[in-house]
Amino acid sequence: MKRELGFSDALMMGLSGSIGFEIFVLMDYAYFGLAGSSMVLSLLLGGLINLLIMFSYCELSAAIPKVGGEYTYTKAAYGGLVAFVSGCLRWLASVFGASLAALVFTRQLSYLFLRVSPIVQSFISAQAPLIAIAVIVILTALDVKGSRKVGPMIVITFLALFAIFLASGLWHGLTPPDVVPRPLPEGLSGVFAATAYMFPMFFGMRALVAGAAQIKSAEKNIPRAIILSALLIMPLYFSVAYVAVGVVPLGDFDEPLLNLAAENILPGAGGILFAIAGMVASLSALGTSIAVQSSIARGMSRDGYLPKILLSVHRRYGTPYIATIAGSVFIIFLSAVGYVEFLGYAASFGSILVFALVNLSLLKLRKTRPYLKRAFKAPLYPFTPVAGVIMSAVLLVSPIFFGDVNAISALMSGLGLMAMVLLTYYLRMVGRYRVQVALGGISLVMGVLTALLTYLIEIGFVPIILSPVSLYILIFFSVVSILAGLLNVTAGAPKIF
Amino acid sequence: MRITIKGVRKVFAAAVGVAQSTMGMLAVIAAYILHSDPFGLRAWLYVNTGFPIPLYVLVLIVFGFFSITSGLFLITENEESP
Repeated sequence: MKRELGFSDALMMGLSGSIGFEIFVLMDYAYFGLAGSSMVLSLLLGGLINLLIMFSYCELSAAIPKVGGEYTYTKAAYGGLVAFVSGCLRWLASVFGASLAALVFTRQLSYLFLRVSPIVQSFISAQAPLIAIAVIVILTALDVKGSRKVGPMIVITFLALFAIFLASGLWHGLTPPDVVPRPLPEGLSGVFAATAYMFPMFFGMRALVAGAAQIKSAEKNIPRAIILSALLIMPLYFSVAYVAVGVVPLGDFDEPLLNLAAENILPGAGGILFAIAGMVASLSALGTSIAVQSSIARGMSRDGYLPKILLSVHRRYGTPYIATIAGSVFIIFLSAVGYVEFLGYAASFGSILVFALVNLSLLKLRKTRPYLKRAFKAPLYPFTPVAGVIMSAVLLVSPIFFGDVNAISALMSGLGLMAMVLLTYYLRMVGRYRVQVALGGISLVMGVLTALLTYLIEIGFVPIILSPVSLYILIFFSVVSILAGLLNVTAGAPKIF
Repeated sequence: MRITIKGVRKVFAAAVGVAQSTMGMLAVIAAYILHSDPFGLRAWLYVNTGFPIPLYVLVLIVFGFFSITSGLFLITENEESP
């Protein structure tokens, strides 16, 4: 890959990665459900924590300017299991983020039609998950076909939009929000919970790191672009949030915060403008996430952690269609759930864990490879990476202490997924044949149990009434499961077949 | 074209694998329908309020997961073996 991009391109990559759909959705729950006006403080805190973590990214990207980002750093530091876990977490974060983007698209579409046609809006609201699924399918098909990247034009458009929003808000006049969390110190837990929930708003600048192989003088340009992106994003988010909470009072609103604020500032046009912007941002993020999850899966397949079939490339379009479709199935499944707050936390937790691993990788590499060429070194070492790890842990547990049910659900789901990740790694080490035999055994048992259940229903022992068609379907399921079980169990026994 | 037992087994395994994976996906879709009730499909399936839905959702998801995985192993068996 040629290094053709300069500092300004790198900076644009960082900004375009950060300014996305998250601002159109994550501030809602943070304001109305978690921290109130102190949400503004949460954004400032999030920005500072992000800056701390980005110092580690800067040093590692300067020392190891290769494709792969976090996966490459953890592999260099720890290898094996940790790299696999890091890759899986990054993949999960992309998948959760993509699902959230799809739901944000339908939410913004619903808001748009609320202003234009309430009848259509009620249909959209009722069928939001199905619309999200349709959008995912379309974008997956486009990705398989090979779609064009939208480019930095979106960043410039959004920056202009936010500039108009801020200027109009100040002109309109706003009630200065009380950003101090009350009551103290109980209110602080809400601030930290909101910080954790809104943290995905800062994730995107690591897209810069993923594109390290394309940037000229990467060891200098990447750290500068990362730090400048972080410093530009913080005041932008802070000021947008400050104006938004200054014009929208706390209440039981069902509409997105930014849209409400824009409608208050620019009646008739503001809400619609932000709805269109939100839809564009969501589609862009969804398309990017589908591509990112596919490239992560392929990278791990290349290293032998996942099946080689994920490396398959479409004969006509030359795109990684298997990896794209496999990831999109998960995205569809999560979008169908429809819980925005759950997905917000899930996307956040996955990435926070990756951030912690990156900071730990920095500490490890300083110890094991002290003579690695580092064009940029994290300032105040070891304070910066240690603080990064501690703050990651604080962000993970603070929503739990706040008692947020969505956070607890997301964390429990995350732990379940981590268990599956570890199981997958173990199975990979055990070898295909043993796994296949085990699955064959499970399939046999499922087939026999289904056949037994069908028989018991037929003779009336089990009080369930099924139509004849359902009984035939159950019989078919049991026959297929038994056959599949026998085939899997005998897979490595060529003398039998 | 020579027809061997190994060749027949490969084709048969692939067919069974496709059928089992499809079954698994249908089970997961059924779990989603039971859980989320899109378009009021629960009434169409005669699922009333006394139905232990969470239990059936769990059973269908577990069945679906193992069926899909087992089916994929059979389908990809042809690519792994010489």
